[in-house]
Amino acid sequence: MTSQPLVLGIETSCDETAVGIVRGRTLLANIIASSVEEHARFGGVVPEIASRAHVEAMPSVLKLALDTARVRLQDLDAIGVTAGPGLIGALLVGTSAAHGLALALEKPLYGVNHLFSHLAVDALDESYELRPAIGLLVSGGHSSILLVEDMASGVKVLGETIDDAAGEAFDKIARLLNLDFPGGPAIDALAREGDRAAIDFPRGLTDDGYNFSFSGLKTAVSRYVKATPLAHRADIAASFQEAVVDVLLSKAIRACTDNAMETLILAGGVAANSRLRAEAKRRCLEARIELRTPPIHLCTDNGAMVAAMTSLAVSAGVPPSTIGFSTLSTVRLDQPTWS
Amino acid sequence: MNGVVIAEFFHDDPLAHGEVLPKLVAQVLESVPWGVSIDQVAIAMGPGPFTGLRVGIAFGEAFALARNILWIGVSSLAAMASVVADDEFVVAIDARRREFFCEHYLHGNLHTPARTLQREDFEQIQIPKYLEPPTVLALATLSLTLRSISEPIYIRKPDAHPAPKGVKFRPWTQIDLVDVYALERRVYLEDPWSMEQIKEEFAGTARQYLVAEFEAKVIGYAGILLAGEVTDILTLTVAPEFRRRGIAREFLKRMVDWSRNKKVVAIMLEMRVDNFEAQPLYVANGFRKISYRKDYYGPGVDAVVMRKELGS
Repeated sequence: MTSQPLVLGIETSCDETAVGIVRGRTLLANIIASSVEEHARFGGVVPEIASRAHVEAMPSVLKLALDTARVRLQDLDAIGVTAGPGLIGALLVGTSAAHGLALALEKPLYGVNHLFSHLAVDALDESYELRPAIGLLVSGGHSSILLVEDMASGVKVLGETIDDAAGEAFDKIARLLNLDFPGGPAIDALAREGDRAAIDFPRGLTDDGYNFSFSGLKTAVSRYVKATPLAHRADIAASFQEAVVDVLLSKAIRACTDNAMETLILAGGVAANSRLRAEAKRRCLEARIELRTPPIHLCTDNGAMVAAMTSLAVSAGVPPSTIGFSTLSTVRLDQPTWS
Repeated sequence: MNGVVIAEFFHDDPLAHGEVLPKLVAQVLESVPWGVSIDQVAIAMGPGPFTGLRVGIAFGEAFALARNILWIGVSSLAAMASVVADDEFVVAIDARRREFFCEHYLHGNLHTPARTLQREDFEQIQIPKYLEPPTVLALATLSLTLRSISEPIYIRKPDAHPAPKGVKFRPWTQIDLVDVYALERRVYLEDPWSMEQIKEEFAGTARQYLVAEFEAKVIGYAGILLAGEVTDILTLTVAPEFRRRGIAREFLKRMVDWSRNKKVVAIMLEMRVDNFEAQPLYVANGFRKISYRKDYYGPGVDAVVMRKELGS
């Protein structure tokens, strides 16, 4: 297969209807329509609203991506689509559209693991020579430490959250502090005005390998808010954020040293957090580890990451998925594409 | 093609549309003779459950876009009716939850456009009823003659909406009465309660009135009366822009709880026979139609009486 495949990727696992187009490891287009504003008034993503919005947005997002990349559908080498994990009703809109395109165009179709895509988007930088790395994947649905030998053939899961994902913890604490949804950016902004050393919140599971737990921290913050109604909210936000950042990075850096890896890829929606990025930079420098962080607009859900993952699979000669592959809301992390 | 069926495949598995549809289309494409091109895609727009409709629409639209051809949205009920030869008949889709989605045809024309009927009412219909799902051939044939429908027809509005963040339920107070009156007049255009009636309700005993409040504004209210062995729901009103978010359901739940605490045997209510928007809520919560009251809301406007047994 060509080493510079032209690939279109579709992502609809949550509230973003997104289409990206890449050639090899070069980004050509990345178009995102979000229904986040419709969800904000409910304090969380409403699956039914997300699915309806995907159907409405899909044709125009597709056309805009093709126009932006200046390519025609018939020139594509492959089509990729997020097959899971995610909201079933939302995923189905993307996989159905992708099947429609693939069958009409007679092009290979790849059902892609959403979590791998978050890491694969880092490959959209031709100046970077792909090499084995540790991946720290932090998003609304996942907090995982992964050993990435080769993106297209699989990764090894070293650790995962045993309860809440980091992004979930951000959303819940934001609600507790009466901040807007989504909670990540709201806490990030408020924390800048606070003292991150003000409150010493607990760091969960510091001994237990590479696994995470954020529910104890959540409870501690909730108790603190109730017991200290006059506390400065910015201090709470900053101290909470510091506890999350500390645990994530301590374990990720330890995973690098334990496995003799010189590169850390920080990916997923929470990787857009400014404190996490700054602290990761500082600690990696200190530990002489090369830090890779995709640009912020490629950290949150997008179509380019699906196209990037698909492009890596095509280049590596991975066979396409079977027509009619199933969408799953949960899936094992070590499977990059659907068979 | 030219009225000849070239390929038709069918699979009856509503839970797996997303997996089955692409496989069926792949089979169809393989059986299309060489040199024959597909000129148009017909997509069934429902009425039907929304996940299935969305699979069809997302797939069909993308297929048409990729082939640079037209897609035509067709009403499933119209397709069902197109193969019936009777002079007068009803086509219907079982919408579950004891409801049917029906269209009435007379002399070859659509007479009563799509509407929801309760099962009891549907069973009363004496003219021939057809419930066979539309054939793919009928859909494809109709797509050649009809104007396209661009929006899916959902059987019912999505009911997955949670209450907006920040809606509070609480007993009403004197200062709510002005808001309640304003909402009453906005919702019940024909025969709203007067301010005097509302004040009487406020002063009355053996009642519980609740309001739903959002951003310091009353967006709904509900009242129930203890009347001997039963309770009687007096009103349940939600501002139109806040409907389908579970607010009425929450009111009803609280009124049922209140009734259970009063140890009554049943909850009763009357409503307009043609209040199709509210009836499904009560039916879904265990209310049954027990009788009708003629001209209850004025000449020609009958009431239906509903009752939910509370049991032991």
